Amino acid sequence: MEFEGCSCFRQRLVLSTLSRKREKILNIRSKDDNPGLRDFEASFVRLLDKVTNGTRIEINQTGTVLFYQPGLLYGGSVEHECNVQRSIGYYLEALLMLAPFGKTLLRAVLKGVTNDPTDPSVDLLKVTAIPLMKKFGIDGAGLEIKVLKRGMTPAGGGEVLFTCPVRRSMKPVQLTEPGKIKRIRGTAISLQMANRIVDSARSILNKFIPDIYIYTDHMKGASSGKSAGFGLTLVAETVNGTFLGAEVMSTPQGQGDPVLPEDFGRNCAKLLLEEVYRSLNRSIIWLVYTILVQRIEFLRHIRDFFQIMFKIEQQKPGEDEQKGGEKVLMTCVGAGYSNISKTIK
Amino acid sequence: MEKKEQKRHQHKHSGPKAQKKNRKKEQGTEQEQDERKRNPRAFSVQSAVRMAKTFHRAQDIKTKKHHIPLVDRTPLEPPPVVVVVMGPPKVGKSTLIRCLIKNYTRQKLSDICGPVTIVSGKKRRLTLIECNNDINSMIDLAKVADLVLMLIDASFGFEMETFEFLNICQVHGFPRVMGVLTHLDTFKNNKTLSKTKKRLKHRFWTEVYQGAKLFYLSGMVYGEYQTQEVKNLGRFISVMKFRPLVWRTSHPYVVADRMQDLTDPEAIRLNPKCDRTVSLYGYLRGTFLKNKCQVHIPGVGDFSVSDVSFLPDPCPLPEVIKKRALNVKERLLYAPLAGVGGLVYDKDAVYIDMPSGHASRQQEEVRPTTELVQSLIGTQATLDAKMAASKVSLFTGTAALTPEEVQENEKQNPMESREWDENAQRERRRAVFADEDEKDDDEEEESDEAEEEEEEEEDEDEEGLTTLKKVDEKADETAAPPVKKQKIKEPMEMPAFADSDDELEKSEGEESEEEEEGSALIYIKQINLWAIMNLLYVCLSVAEEEEEDSNDEEELGGLFKVSRPERSKKVRADAMDCSRFQPDSSHDWDQEEVRCTSIRDCFVTGKWEEDKDAATLLKENDELYGDFEDLQTGEVHKGDGGDDDDEEEEAPQVKLDDDEVQKNKRLEKKRRLKERFDAQYDDGDATYFDDLKEEMQKQAELNRQEFEDVDDEVRVQYEGFRPGMYVRVEIPALPCEFVTNFDPHYPIVLGGLGPSEGNVGYLQMRLKKHRWHSRILKTRDPLILSLGWRRFQTIPLYYIEDHNGRHRLLKYTPEHMHCGATIWGPITPQGTGFLAVQTVGGIKANFRIAATGVVLDLDKSVTIVKKLKLIGYPYKIFKNTCFIQGMFNTVLEVAKFEGASIRTVSGIKGQIKKALRTPLGAFRATFEDRLLMSDIVFLRSWYPVLVPQLYNPVTSLLMPVGQKDTWAGMRTLGHLKHDLGIRNKPNQDSLYKPVVRQVRHFNTLHIPKELQKALPFKNKPKQMQAKGKTPRDLQRPAVVREPHEKKVAALLDALSSVYAYKNKKAKAEQHAKHKEFLKQKEKQDAERQKRLKEERKKTYRAMGQKEKKKLKSSLKGASKDN
Repeated sequence: MEFEGCSCFRQRLVLSTLSRKREKILNIRSKDDNPGLRDFEASFVRLLDKVTNGTRIEINQTGTVLFYQPGLLYGGSVEHECNVQRSIGYYLEALLMLAPFGKTLLRAVLKGVTNDPTDPSVDLLKVTAIPLMKKFGIDGAGLEIKVLKRGMTPAGGGEVLFTCPVRRSMKPVQLTEPGKIKRIRGTAISLQMANRIVDSARSILNKFIPDIYIYTDHMKGASSGKSAGFGLTLVAETVNGTFLGAEVMSTPQGQGDPVLPEDFGRNCAKLLLEEVYRSLNRSIIWLVYTILVQRIEFLRHIRDFFQIMFKIEQQKPGEDEQKGGEKVLMTCVGAGYSNISKTIK
Repeated sequence: MEKKEQKRHQHKHSGPKAQKKNRKKEQGTEQEQDERKRNPRAFSVQSAVRMAKTFHRAQDIKTKKHHIPLVDRTPLEPPPVVVVVMGPPKVGKSTLIRCLIKNYTRQKLSDICGPVTIVSGKKRRLTLIECNNDINSMIDLAKVADLVLMLIDASFGFEMETFEFLNICQVHGFPRVMGVLTHLDTFKNNKTLSKTKKRLKHRFWTEVYQGAKLFYLSGMVYGEYQTQEVKNLGRFISVMKFRPLVWRTSHPYVVADRMQDLTDPEAIRLNPKCDRTVSLYGYLRGTFLKNKCQVHIPGVGDFSVSDVSFLPDPCPLPEVIKKRALNVKERLLYAPLAGVGGLVYDKDAVYIDMPSGHASRQQEEVRPTTELVQSLIGTQATLDAKMAASKVSLFTGTAALTPEEVQENEKQNPMESREWDENAQRERRRAVFADEDEKDDDEEEESDEAEEEEEEEEDEDEEGLTTLKKVDEKADETAAPPVKKQKIKEPMEMPAFADSDDELEKSEGEESEEEEEGSALIYIKQINLWAIMNLLYVCLSVAEEEEEDSNDEEELGGLFKVSRPERSKKVRADAMDCSRFQPDSSHDWDQEEVRCTSIRDCFVTGKWEEDKDAATLLKENDELYGDFEDLQTGEVHKGDGGDDDDEEEEAPQVKLDDDEVQKNKRLEKKRRLKERFDAQYDDGDATYFDDLKEEMQKQAELNRQEFEDVDDEVRVQYEGFRPGMYVRVEIPALPCEFVTNFDPHYPIVLGGLGPSEGNVGYLQMRLKKHRWHSRILKTRDPLILSLGWRRFQTIPLYYIEDHNGRHRLLKYTPEHMHCGATIWGPITPQGTGFLAVQTVGGIKANFRIAATGVVLDLDKSVTIVKKLKLIGYPYKIFKNTCFIQGMFNTVLEVAKFEGASIRTVSGIKGQIKKALRTPLGAFRATFEDRLLMSDIVFLRSWYPVLVPQLYNPVTSLLMPVGQKDTWAGMRTLGHLKHDLGIRNKPNQDSLYKPVVRQVRHFNTLHIPKELQKALPFKNKPKQMQAKGKTPRDLQRPAVVREPHEKKVAALLDALSSVYAYKNKKAKAEQHAKHKEFLKQKEKQDAERQKRLKEERKKTYRAMGQKEKKKLKSSLKGASKDN
């Protein structure tokens, strides 16, 4: 398979690893002033190499062409120094998709930036992705994301532990009914301004539902990371056990306009409402965690790698129901994928 | 054996017995019902232990029956059942197939080659395949067979092929096996016949399962089996049930019943050895087949499918299920390889064949080669015409429509199949359904319609879709003229959405329009889902091809935003890879109005749906459990339901609609009650197993329903081609031998491969030498494995797992034990069974299956190690420290092994300490004891072994006709040596030599002087020196007597002997005398003793009396004193 450009870099590599199809990515930032792979992408490729066995990676001199021949997913104990240009979420998203199909239980310690404004933070993944994975039948004691140390944008210094058990195959799921939101939970990351953020967020959300609780998370000393920052993660849980999340992170010191904590909280709450408004319905008879990647590009990639096409139907809203945006129901037949790395005894 | 007719028992009609019986008969029925009551003792518990045992046994049997529940994926219209007729040559396979065909379809088929598909019943079709006596075909067919008819020559008994085939079946998931005994008419003696039958039956049972069905075909009538027996066999086949096998339900496969070479004849003319493009036809079985997937053709190799399309069923089941049996028209027969069949589809034409005539005449006419050539010529001509006509596209998004697909769509018109029914003609002829003009007209019409629809739509939802339309139109423009070019340019494009989808689009568009009126959403515009699909999967891929930029930005319903930047495509290709969705905040959540209108109901505090609203549920519950009385408190609760009744009474004028509503409510209530009851009732013995089964059932149901109502053309794109469809699979780049050496007697199987099963890697497997194979297997000897769909040659390394988990290399497989094997081969899911043979060429007397096993693990690296002993010699010995040399060559090597434990042959353990500077490779080591210079030191290490990367697919189908069973791959070392006449030079040390024994020499025992002194004389070493030679002077001369002296000596001798005699005599006398004397003395002594005893007695008595007297007197005296 051949692709051009570095967009959807992770998707392509992850799908290639899962489908065991070799691929070649050409013209990676070839017209750019600074051509080739960036450090964080190289770091990502290195992480893939760590969790697999027998992977062949060839990069040309300028870094504009990447040839990737996937090996067998291995898992095991992995420690990775993630590049600070992107947060750990960037790496974790890919690991979430790969980890259940390894040979042995994955125990990854990722070091770097835990929260930054560009990528979904570790906290958000923790509250949204883990329950979704449980729906696919990946449960048990082993599955967890744990923030050992926090690290903010410029300097990093955070540490996240991700463990995931291996499974032979996935359970089919039907997420046809989003359900009503029954509670909103959240985590505010800050030392001093946590209360102000929390209050402002509540002021908006309280109008919808009274069951709101926002924890404040402050880590001290070495575990608080090398640079300062604050953020808020909100997650709405529905009665059907689906989770919708939103988050806002502060920009690194000295960049961007200073924001009042109150505005900050309000922004986050609005984002959550926006998310609720859109709340994509997912009915997938396979494994794709589309919550991670809500892009058309991803569906097209799945088509290319697995020959899976989604049937898209429109859901008709009731007469005078006010349930947010127009939604579609997507259905597909699985690829019959099973974990071929796992050993049987 | 005729038995003598015996006198039958006569029932009594009168007398007491008859009366008793009559009485019984009258009451009989009642008594029999109540056996337990009548005779309770017989049913009472005799022994608790026995009862427990029977209970346990019953439970055991029950649990044994449990299997892991499998999902039922059988499609609604299942593909024909594959019936493989197998047996050694000359056993009657072809005859049986012929008889079965005649039984089902009333037709005679003289030449059977390739699969024959027939309609056997109202709901079942069969594909009969004959398996020839080649292990390659046996393996391939065992993988696809649903039912195996195993023919056994009863006059001969079982042959090796039978057992081999059974073993092959066992490895690849056991299909149903039915034995058929033939040649039973050769037995003249009835007794031997029945004995043979019984013997064969029991042997068959041990091999398959106890009670496996074994049929007897007793004799031949005019070269055919007896009709009744064949009929019975046919009945058994048509009621047979099949258990889904894991491998087959997870892989699609096609047993090809037709092959067509599509290569350009010009290319063949230029280069007869060029790679061929071939289309293969057959029923799809197993699971869904995705387009452009990889397939393996056993005997040829791996190929990627370039195109799959489904054709109308050439051998369909009767449409309407009637109660009566099938009529003659419905009993279809389809065997294109044998030259018989109903419809044969080409790219642009359908051949109709009426099978009701004589088969023999047809066969002469219908040779695949002629048909092939004809079709090829035909194809080219029409293709050109088509290209000219293909300007018009059928549908907005179908830029990807290639002319081939257009043609196929045409073919699938039901018109043609109907036509076939009408044309009841015998000879096969070519039916062109429509002239070129007509076709064009049709297409134009269709396209007109499509355009109209488009226009309508545009009118309907202009605001929402204008942008999209532009894209579509553009796609149209680009798609239309250079059709062929595009096909080449874009190999990945989707097989376009069929023309029938126009309606779909239209209807959906209308629907969405209606919704638009209702929903008062602010910025949501209409989503035409069809447009989304197009945009997702088709248009953009087309659009990407274009170099021109599109300035318009699409936003579809706020859901998918096509991020197509203005500048150029390149920029987008390098876009930031971030999964965070940055919503454009078009909502101002601060406004109360926005908040209320949009997402109010997404929260539990919002409004609920009718059926989930708490109030409604509560009400329903009340209706269900209207009134109830609390038995404990005696309180009576009155529900609302009662009130409802009152209300009804109060207001009798209810409308008819209300009546309907009430009725529905009642029904609903009933249903709920029933559900609840069911749940409670079944809950008692619902196990985990049951739950699992139910869950699977539900999922299967859902899967079935999800796409049920979708049109086939579209459905195929969502879920792939579903099993049961008759598909045409186009495969490019097949080796030319496949076509030139095509033999219809050999089965062609297209086995679909899952994702990543096309790759090669290391496989770890558990393997056991087959107990009937005569020799053990050697590591590194090439072996032919049948694994998954594949047959391939590879080089296995055998190993065994030690207690610490180490995989130790074995030189040979164990005789009766499992061992591990690692091969370099195709990635196959774990748990797949495999079998190994050493050669597939030729026929051998021995049992050919060398080993069987299962795949355990897949990896990209190997973990097998073998033992390596490094040997060194001490050259300097201190107390417990030694300098050892000869084990390593450099200091670096030593450094790697620092701290490793070493040992001497005599068992002294030690450790490597540090390398020495000189000599190179020497090191210092310490031991637990002092070494000798003669000791040998060794280091035991484990050395990883590399698995040779040989993966050589068996290409038996490419061999010339008649030599297909002669495939020979890499030879084993033994074979090679045997063939080349190379013999190993024997090790001199292991040759036999004459035994030369040395005489043993013992040193004298040396006893120290001190010890000698202490020893008793007996044990003292005697200082007896050997007598030396007596010196001359001490030697005495021999005495020679004079005659006189001689006489004197003789006299003296005589005198002395007389004297000695005298003495002896006197001594004897003396002795006798003394004896006499002793006797007398003894006598005297005895008398004396006697006398003395008497005397002593007397004295003692006197003494006793005296004592008594004394005592008496003393007593008297005392009394006096008192």
